[in-house]
Amino acid sequence: MSTMINLVLEATWQTVVMVFLSTIFSMVLGFPIGVLLHVTGPEEHGGIIPHPVFCSVLSRIVNILRSFPFLILMIVLMPLSRLIIGTSIGTMATVIPLSIAAAPFVARVIESSLKEVDPGVVQAAKAMGSTNWQIIVKVLIPEALPSLAAGVTLTIINLIGYSAMAGAIGGGGLGDLAIRYGYQRFRPSYMVAAVVIIIVMVELIQFIGDRISSHLISRR
Amino acid sequence: MEIRLKNLRRSYGKLHAVEDVSLSIPSNTVYGIIGKSGAGKSTLVRLVSMLEAPDSGEVYYDDKRVDNLSRKELIEERRHIGMIFQTFNLFSSRNAADNIAYPMEICHMDKEHIKKRTEELLALVGLERRGNAPISTLSGGQKQRVAIARALATNPSILFCDEATSALDPQTTRSILALIKEIQKKMNLTVVMITHQMEVVRDACDRVAVLDSGRIVEEGKVSDIFASPHHAVTKDFLSSLTTVRESIIRWSKEGGHYTLRFRGGKTDEPIISAVSSATGAIFNIRAAGVQTVDGEELGVMITDIGPEGEVAESAVRMLEEKGVHVEESGEV
Repeated sequence: MSTMINLVLEATWQTVVMVFLSTIFSMVLGFPIGVLLHVTGPEEHGGIIPHPVFCSVLSRIVNILRSFPFLILMIVLMPLSRLIIGTSIGTMATVIPLSIAAAPFVARVIESSLKEVDPGVVQAAKAMGSTNWQIIVKVLIPEALPSLAAGVTLTIINLIGYSAMAGAIGGGGLGDLAIRYGYQRFRPSYMVAAVVIIIVMVELIQFIGDRISSHLISRR
Repeated sequence: MEIRLKNLRRSYGKLHAVEDVSLSIPSNTVYGIIGKSGAGKSTLVRLVSMLEAPDSGEVYYDDKRVDNLSRKELIEERRHIGMIFQTFNLFSSRNAADNIAYPMEICHMDKEHIKKRTEELLALVGLERRGNAPISTLSGGQKQRVAIARALATNPSILFCDEATSALDPQTTRSILALIKEIQKKMNLTVVMITHQMEVVRDACDRVAVLDSGRIVEEGKVSDIFASPHHAVTKDFLSSLTTVRESIIRWSKEGGHYTLRFRGGKTDEPIISAVSSATGAIFNIRAAGVQTVDGEELGVMITDIGPEGEVAESAVRMLEEKGVHVEESGEV
């Protein structure tokens, strides 16, 4: 029993680390891409630096990356982990493919949040003599904040799911535990424990995310 | 600051939104540009306010040409104009005071100065102590007051009002117009008001240009335009003035072939009697009223003139000689 608790705790911690780090890295990668997708989009949708060619090329790339089945993308990106971290096995090594796989998703989430900002407000900021950078930092992002918070919540929950899959290829964490012990060694209690913890995590993140979003809205 | 437009054109595909507009907007006035939806007003204001570049033509602020500025100069120049909008376009992520602070922030002004100026501006628009209010808690009129304060933050010399009162009820519209007029005098602003409401022109503007299908069809002093409109679109706008209808007493629903417009001192003269006895024409007055435009009294009368034919024609001629503006068609 105590071995099980220890194993479950360790796997939970690995999942938390994986999700936490890959959320940060996928945001770092995906956020600027999302902003670029929005600002280079058509002016009537609030684009401030319309550039149809750049926007559609970037959009294509994002779509291609998003249509890759996650498991295959992970395998393709493993050499990259080896290059950066020195190994392609383990929790830390999984963070890299996980972040890259989630980045295009993050980009779309950010883009759609920014699209919700009233183009009239952006026009007003422009008329007052804002630079593009000022519009992005002082207008677009603050105006979209409640929606961006919801987007981050969505990303984290997605990454919890992705990280469970990453377990299958040696990433560690709750997914790994469920497969190795629950499935391959026929111990359904491990499977149940892993699934329950994942459900609790998702519920918790959703709850906190909703609270943050509604708090941000209530202050307006 | 004086604004001059020279042969401005702008089209979107096949749509000629603005076609050959030349206009001189004198400094220190409230200048109205009126047009129906689709007349090209929005495009024109975007061209004049440097939000969009014309296909051809020139825009001057005093003697400075502003339609072909580099990006950097453009941003700098935009910081010297103010603009307010129909939907206010305030930042929901900022409270009232921080909205007003925005244009100063982007010019990297000193924090202390911004704070002081924001207080001044809140007082100027009558919103003292409301600085901390989130935008969503303000009424439409209060939102527009915040927007006006924000537009004036950097001491601009021009204020553009793009349908600024169209989303407001009549009473709030009057108070906002009064505020704009007051500020115009205080700050020696050139105010350009884009609108589709003749009430706004009557109550706030010194001069007006009437826009139709991308062209200026009539331009002049507001009191002149009200006394003797020439173009059909202008007459249409005048007839749509609801408050004129209210101020005019109509005692007969039928008839009324002619609309007579009198102005200023002439309202005191017994013109109708004089014309009637001189030509033998019979006037059957159907409706009449007086309204004040730009401080001047303007009389409107809807009447039949008989008998039809030569007598009526000579009566009309005589009325016109006496400076009365006569229109055929009985709608005010």
